[in-house]
Amino acid sequence: MAGAVSIATIALRRGEEINAMWLVVAAVCCYALGYRFYSSFIAAKVLVLDSERATPAERLDNGRDFVPTNKWVVFGHHFAAIAGPGPLVGPVLAAQFGYLPGTLWLLAGAVFGGCVQDFVILLLSVRRDGKSLTEMARDEIGPVGGFIAYAAVISIIVILLGVCALVVVNALKSSPWGTFTIAMTIPIALLMGVYLRRLRPGRVLESSLLGFILVVLAIWGGKWISQTPSMAHWFTLTATSLALIIIGYGFAASALPVWLLLAPRDYLSTFVKLGTIGLLALGIGALRPTMHMPALTRFVDGTGPVFAGRVFPFAFITIACGAISGFHSLISSGTTPKLIRRETETRMVGYGAMLAESMVAIMATIAACVLQPGIYFAINSPAGIVGKTAENAAAVISGWGFPVSAVDMHSLAQSVGEQSLFNRTGGAPAFAVGMAHIFSNSIGGQALMAIWYHFAIMFEALFILTVLDAGTRVGRFMLQDALGHVWKPMGRTSWYPSILFTSAMIVAAWGYFLWQGVKDPLGGINSLWPLFGIANQLLGIVALCVATTIIIKMQRARYAAATIAPLAALVLVTFTASWHKVFDANPRIGFLAHARQLGTAGGNARLIFNDRLDALVTSGLIIMVALILVESVSRWVSGLSGRTQAEVRETPFVRTRFAEE
Amino acid sequence: MRVEAVCGRGPHLPSLRAGPRHTFEAVKLLVATVREIFDEAAYSRFLMRERTERSRESYAEFLQENANVTARRPRCC
Repeated sequence: MAGAVSIATIALRRGEEINAMWLVVAAVCCYALGYRFYSSFIAAKVLVLDSERATPAERLDNGRDFVPTNKWVVFGHHFAAIAGPGPLVGPVLAAQFGYLPGTLWLLAGAVFGGCVQDFVILLLSVRRDGKSLTEMARDEIGPVGGFIAYAAVISIIVILLGVCALVVVNALKSSPWGTFTIAMTIPIALLMGVYLRRLRPGRVLESSLLGFILVVLAIWGGKWISQTPSMAHWFTLTATSLALIIIGYGFAASALPVWLLLAPRDYLSTFVKLGTIGLLALGIGALRPTMHMPALTRFVDGTGPVFAGRVFPFAFITIACGAISGFHSLISSGTTPKLIRRETETRMVGYGAMLAESMVAIMATIAACVLQPGIYFAINSPAGIVGKTAENAAAVISGWGFPVSAVDMHSLAQSVGEQSLFNRTGGAPAFAVGMAHIFSNSIGGQALMAIWYHFAIMFEALFILTVLDAGTRVGRFMLQDALGHVWKPMGRTSWYPSILFTSAMIVAAWGYFLWQGVKDPLGGINSLWPLFGIANQLLGIVALCVATTIIIKMQRARYAAATIAPLAALVLVTFTASWHKVFDANPRIGFLAHARQLGTAGGNARLIFNDRLDALVTSGLIIMVALILVESVSRWVSGLSGRTQAEVRETPFVRTRFAEE
Repeated sequence: MRVEAVCGRGPHLPSLRAGPRHTFEAVKLLVATVREIFDEAAYSRFLMRERTERSRESYAEFLQENANVTARRPRCC
């Protein structure tokens, strides 16, 4: 009842502001119902979880990769792995349509799509000794499925890294305070590495706490840097300089030993991430803020300044990870299945952790929507749309019906210690302002607004950079595996020429997308975020094709709608969005139309090439979707019609010793 | 030494009417979760498996062993 009333309030209230707690209550109720009833249905009817069956963690227990682990511990481990920057940035960008479309998709998408995908893939991997998604795609669908899954993972990693790097660049450009703080995390991580390896071996929590204290000191130090002109000069960087530094950093992080930089930074990032998400939840609960963003804005028609395109399909592409994320299927078929102690626990870990992730996305929506809409659009609109001067931008945005003045924006920028907050696209600065607003109204008042803002920027940039350096390394390993089939020495992960070559290849790939975004007069996010959304949903389609194929082979075809329904939704969204991104006649949406417009106006040849490249990448992704769908459907048809013998490639049943518990 | 909360028969989630014993169990579970997330539990398992003591050398060996596994672990979007 509480959930129904909350959703009705969210959906039907027009013309007056609502309290953020309506969203929180609606989400908590929907998630509770989804977990209690829908996940039970999937566990009992679709997957037929077997509490008697031993998991690979029990059978293959080696105290290293395979370890039977308490379900709450695995839940925490899994949540820490799936919670990335996507559920924070996506909902902030999608807030340009108002809070309603994003919220509804987060609730429905998570309960019926994302959670189902994570849960099903986790269980299927558990029943196959912890096999990865690409291995399951190859074994269960066929070689084309396996190849496409592999190609999809590489594509998504490259696009994800490019777009993540762009978000960091946009958050740090012309911001000496933010740049100094983030720069300091590198020596702090190195110090943590030495502490861990030399001074107190293995005391990760101690070193993370030490690192956190040093990062907080760096935030305070950043204030002094930004207020000291001679120092601020060194840390006030343009977008292109930042892009080059981040590209160099990505290469170094991929080629250096793990213990030196990657591992300590990862621990520091996880520490900050979990702490900040907890703090944000407490802040929203304590403040119960009012949301100033309307339920729906005029930009549902596709004319939005943050990114172009109608609410369907672009809200669904943009939200990505908080509702359904193909990337999660890599985690669900990675470390997690090797820790699951009993099959029945996959429900809580797979379904439950995704609900928690979706709740993080709801909090991000709230953080964006507590801002005055005029301020939200001033921060998120690129100069190419609203003009380069503050007065121009304020006039254009006010003309849309979202009043804001240059003076208001200047005083807001001063209160957070920035020179300007206009044209800070990418979602991170808007989220940071919203988060600082919530925190400063809970603790410390306006006096701490700047500290909270830079804490939020540090938090986002830190864990985006962690995604960046870890992702570059994962991409490097995948490339080494692939090239090893061509020339054996390239597959040796410790051979330095191979490390340098493959690191350079991966960094060049995402670096190109980053460079493209930095040079894009529309801010880059307009082109790259939808591309990332499409790539991510493509991986979701691969995961759901694998899941459906196996469910049919398990003779549970009557319940296959549980995965076919979200699969159909993803296919519809991905195909429609891709069609618009490639062929739409509006140059702000269609890559080819934009290339034509630039060509007619005698525009920059590089920008025209970039548009065509984006169109090619999008088309390539969609062709892969079509191929894997065709191969999967042909498997389903031949299996259901009895033309082929459905063979489930599960590990044989072994009775668990935990059964009597 | 294998942490009981992490491996094997770990404690169940305490009820809302938890007494001091249940609170202690909850804290133990939280610590176990944090130790697992931050790989401290993995290092403890390594020490137990290799029958060795906490030292620079053993931690370096642990890092070496885990380097490929942790570096291949994807970070999510």
